[in-house]
Amino acid sequence: MTADLLLQGLINGLILGLIYSLIGLSLNIIFGVLRVVNFAHGEFIILGAYAAYFLQRLLGLSPFLAMPVIFVMFALIGWALYFVLVKRLARSDDPETASLLVMFGLSITLGALMLFFFEADARSLDYMLEPPFLMFGNIVIPTTRLVALAITLVITGITAWFLYRTFPGKALRAVIMNRSAVATVGIDVEKLSAMTFGIGLGFAGVTGVLLAMIFPAFSPFAGADYTLIGFIIIVLGGLGHPIGALVGGLLFGVTEQVTVVLADNSVALLVGFALMIAVIFFRPSGLFGRQQLR
Amino acid sequence: MASSLGGVAAPAEGRSGDARVGRIRISLWIVVALGVVLPLLAAPALTENLSFSFYLMLWIILCTSFNLVAGFTGYMPFGYVAFYGVGAYATGVLHKTYGLPMPGALVCAALAGAAVSLLLAPTLRLKGVYFGIVSLALAVIFRLVVSMLPEDITGGSMGLILARANDPQTTYYVTVAVLAACLAAAGWLAFSRTGVALRAVRDDADAAAIVGIDVTRTRLKAWVLAATFPAVVGGLEAWYTNAIDPEASFNILVTAKVIVYSMAGGLGTLLGPVLGAGALYGIDHLIWQKFPVLNLMFLGIIIMVMILVFPRGLVGSFAQRFPLLRRYIP
Repeated sequence: MTADLLLQGLINGLILGLIYSLIGLSLNIIFGVLRVVNFAHGEFIILGAYAAYFLQRLLGLSPFLAMPVIFVMFALIGWALYFVLVKRLARSDDPETASLLVMFGLSITLGALMLFFFEADARSLDYMLEPPFLMFGNIVIPTTRLVALAITLVITGITAWFLYRTFPGKALRAVIMNRSAVATVGIDVEKLSAMTFGIGLGFAGVTGVLLAMIFPAFSPFAGADYTLIGFIIIVLGGLGHPIGALVGGLLFGVTEQVTVVLADNSVALLVGFALMIAVIFFRPSGLFGRQQLR
Repeated sequence: MASSLGGVAAPAEGRSGDARVGRIRISLWIVVALGVVLPLLAAPALTENLSFSFYLMLWIILCTSFNLVAGFTGYMPFGYVAFYGVGAYATGVLHKTYGLPMPGALVCAALAGAAVSLLLAPTLRLKGVYFGIVSLALAVIFRLVVSMLPEDITGGSMGLILARANDPQTTYYVTVAVLAACLAAAGWLAFSRTGVALRAVRDDADAAAIVGIDVTRTRLKAWVLAATFPAVVGGLEAWYTNAIDPEASFNILVTAKVIVYSMAGGLGTLLGPVLGAGALYGIDHLIWQKFPVLNLMFLGIIIMVMILVFPRGLVGSFAQRFPLLRRYIP
């Protein structure tokens, strides 16, 4: 029986881990290209969930159709925010710490605005899938998780194709590796940076919809939790490393879900943090990072 | 004319000139510290409402000690609230659960803060954003651990009520004493050899090591001092409000406000955090009263604008505008 439970935890962990890795992926693309630690990522994730909620309530759009709409919406917001906030950071003495502080301010602002407009009550998306659960032997998996998993796989696939097969994607990876060299070969780094911030926030919005499908209730307070999970994941995988985020996400998801089976939720978060701190001390550049501690 | 000559002081008079500047800076700091402490000491005689000046003192202590690590060593501890929370809990648990008198409990809170800072000292090996992220994670860990401790010791997620200790007057005067101690300790750290070493380490750790500064020890001194005072502040606040719970004691907003207040004044100078805490706590207080719901939004916007527009704060901008006066600023 325990073995079944553990297997259940493992499978849940892999599914959730893959979805979590989307948080890490977008954080990492943003950090890699812009050297900005997006403290407000969790708030954008929750905003994505609210966007899906209101698109459904007001326009009757199903969460699945809402995803591309939300991606475009958030990408545009990200594009604009780049020019309003992020670009100015480059002038600061210590851009990385300044980015952490500015995004911290943004996260507080967004959290307060959400609390003001959406109030503290938890909301949930209104949709049903038939059948609600699928059985594989003794393992029960909610259908929504499988659907979310499929969507995540598609998104990850598209991202991989974008990063490794298209010109802007390759340019983006090149900026992560060596910013000044990319400027030398005539790529407009500023345009690329704005695009990256847009894509990053677009991902955050879509991840919010996915998370709202899996964990039915969301509220303005949950943002900080997702930001922390994102931080754990990117530190595990290595700051600024797209593939590292995938591995970090899976590692964190499995650890979390297996601990949930053995103990409870708050212990699970503790174990996640302990894992992160251990990785930081024994392998500071992350499991996949090549870049040195700066 | 004289001051412009002072700017390019000849090597011969350099040393005595430096000593003179140093003395002026120390005297200025003593004047500032007395100017802060004495009115606050007299406040109970002048007004009924002690709450405002009590919290003003707490913020000045928090910002001054935060500056010791953020301004003088260049680390940005996003989990600074952890020390505050540990102090609040040490005080609350020792007083309520183990019956220790308040003064004893506060001393133990200070020791607990110092002990925790030593425990976390290895994180100083990390740099930049890594340090910030880990520090934040540690604050969350402390909150989780405290709320998971046995309920008959810490009161679980409900926290503890310390009604028997209620004595706002005494708390107030103890806080004035702690404030004076904090300003004195910060002055000592800034003006001593350690202070010079600290700034050298902040600006270039490798070069500092080459001229014979023990980088680790120097950082550790500032770190322990910067952790002890917030622990005492946590205890004082618990004593004043007679209540602690994990959410309030480890609230990340404490870190947020400390960062904002001290950056507004200007990190890296003694004057900056005091000025910033005084000015912004006043503004914050007004915003709280006028916009109870949206005050957090204003806090967030102030953080963003300040870092983008005045990253050096009031004192830093002043020093940039009047470079010749810069070296007299404590």
